[in-house]
Amino acid sequence: MGTPVNYAAQIAAATLDIFETMIPMEVTSGEPMVGEKIEISAYLTSMLGLSGDFAGMLNIHCPSDIACLITGAMLGMEVDEVDEDVKDALGEVANMVAGGLKISLADSQIDVELAIPSVIAGKSYTITAPEGTQKVVVPFETPSGPFWVELKFRRTS
Amino acid sequence: MGKTVLIVDDSNTMRKIVSRSLRQAGLDFDDILEAGDGQQALEVLGANQVDLVLSDINMPNMNGIEFLRAKAENDAIKEIPVVMISTETGADIIGEATALGAKGAIKKPFTPDSVNDIIAPLL
Repeated sequence: MGTPVNYAAQIAAATLDIFETMIPMEVTSGEPMVGEKIEISAYLTSMLGLSGDFAGMLNIHCPSDIACLITGAMLGMEVDEVDEDVKDALGEVANMVAGGLKISLADSQIDVELAIPSVIAGKSYTITAPEGTQKVVVPFETPSGPFWVELKFRRTS
Repeated sequence: MGKTVLIVDDSNTMRKIVSRSLRQAGLDFDDILEAGDGQQALEVLGANQVDLVLSDINMPNMNGIEFLRAKAENDAIKEIPVVMISTETGADIIGEATALGAKGAIKKPFTPDSVNDIIAPLL
């Protein structure tokens, strides 16, 4: 039997790599969150489906001001309100996190395929997962507040 | 004579970032054209003189691999070099892209330096 996969560590590494490489913002990862229900106050969520050895979803939950800050840092400009650029940028961050995760999972002989990201907006979310689904939520802290990266999945092979 | 690059990505944000990275890398293009998927890219290539294409892989409508396949079958545009810029950098998919004529691949996230390392030798 192989070494258990540390999904939280892989999520943290993939996310921090994006900020170190392409988004000039100070970001640190926190302790992974566990539990049946996790309350998150976010305005935007970017979602990206995973298939292959996984059936699941990678989500990034982001308050609107943090989403604007991330977008502004990506584009090198000030962004004041959530618009299509902000939704697009958050989707692209999810795409890159999932891409990094795909590469690290491949090292553990887990092959996943990535869908195209989509973004929804809302006031708050309660994250639940169907029975048999694993859930990992990693919080990240910026100087202006937090955002969260969530992986929900079940192994299909 | 100035050169023209076509950036193909379904993300408007990523097209802007690639465009900015080209400038930051000192790669001097006279014109930067954009397309949101492979189908749009074929239309742009049919109507413009383009020296280099930078294309995402994972896109709706026509993805980057389908774009390469269609381009390879069109004598008028098949020689235009294409570099993939994608989160998809596994050996199998990059191998498929290379077999269809792609000249290189840049992994997202990227820096201007990594863009320059791949693209400068092609110009």
